Amino acid sequence: MSASRKAAVVLAMALALATPAAAHHVGAWAPRDNEISANFKQLKYSLQAGKLDVARRLYEQGAVRKEIAKRTGSLPPRLDDAVRTALTLGDVAEAERGLTLVLAALIRDLALEAGKQVGDAAAPRAKRAAAGQKFLEAIWRYYNLIDFTVTQRDPKAATGIRLAFDDAEGYGKGGAPAPATAAGGPAKTVSAPQADPDKMLEPLRRIARILSGVVETFATPTRRQS
Amino acid sequence: MSAPRADAMTEAWRVPPVSVLLAAVALIACAEVGGASMVQWKPGVTRWARDTMLARPAVHGLVGVRDVDEQILDEALTRLDGGLRLFHLHAEGMGTVIIVTTMVATTLVASDTLRRAIVVLLTVGGAVYPFGYLLWSALIPFAGVTPAKRIAEWVVWIPFGSAAIAATWLLVWALGTRLVTRRRQPT
Repeated sequence: MSASRKAAVVLAMALALATPAAAHHVGAWAPRDNEISANFKQLKYSLQAGKLDVARRLYEQGAVRKEIAKRTGSLPPRLDDAVRTALTLGDVAEAERGLTLVLAALIRDLALEAGKQVGDAAAPRAKRAAAGQKFLEAIWRYYNLIDFTVTQRDPKAATGIRLAFDDAEGYGKGGAPAPATAAGGPAKTVSAPQADPDKMLEPLRRIARILSGVVETFATPTRRQS
Repeated sequence: MSAPRADAMTEAWRVPPVSVLLAAVALIACAEVGGASMVQWKPGVTRWARDTMLARPAVHGLVGVRDVDEQILDEALTRLDGGLRLFHLHAEGMGTVIIVTTMVATTLVASDTLRRAIVVLLTVGGAVYPFGYLLWSALIPFAGVTPAKRIAEWVVWIPFGSAAIAATWLLVWALGTRLVTRRRQPT
């Protein structure tokens, strides 16, 4: 065998080995609920099932109520009392309103903090963009839980939040955001070399502004239409 | 140590060299100790890893907000635990693979040089490869999930995994050649 043939064989072997050797199994990870989102889901499902005594117990002992206590300054006064009364009286709509309000306030504060960190000009661009992406993941995780309720009561705000989220995500991933699809599916981003944290700021502020409106809207108790 | 080779029917399995068997048994023992330790000290390891990661917020991209950071920490801790589990799994499996494949090579590969090469590559590659998972897990709190994986890949997984894969292909080639040669021989 000539030297060039030997070299070709060695190269072919190296290439054949490189792919399987690099394809080692490292397991999978899927984001899990935190105590707030888990408690919110438990409450929602027990309310939907009409298990008000269960919902009341889950609320009394759960993380959502602790979050209300922590955010007394940024939430409407006596929200805790309103939710407890609604659960006692079996007023599901009113209980859902209170719970949605808590998450809306939480997401708004996350969007504000994201704006602060992404807009920190002293930090490297890549770090700002990565932080922005992490904030967006957290924002979506919570917003996903209240999207249906927000859409029912304020569809314009719900659409505005989704569009702003798509915009921020697009700039964070390094592409210009494409228009949202008519079906409401996630917008595809056009790939570009670098993420632009500066452009993420505007949609993040938009998310915070719209959610402030949502908090105000949900601060007004629902009246049942009969 | 080995039985005389009369023909294919009376051929007995040859035992691989003692050093190979020791390496394989030691690897399986490491797997068992690793698995038991993982169960015994899981809360302590998790606490240590969490504290180590919290002391290095820049490395892990922590932003100081609970709702964001807890997901980052959860992913890193899950990966760390997964690495320990995969070490246990691979070490147990590769120990057995080393014993079986080196036994096949020792018995059926005629060429001394080729046989030695296959046995050495299988033993070294197979015995060291699982430790890549241990290295990955140990590095996650200090370097982050992806950089730790890159280090483990280049230091352990790719070189030693390649050695084991190359040895397996060589063994397949040697066995194939043997089969073809035997078929051509008149009975």
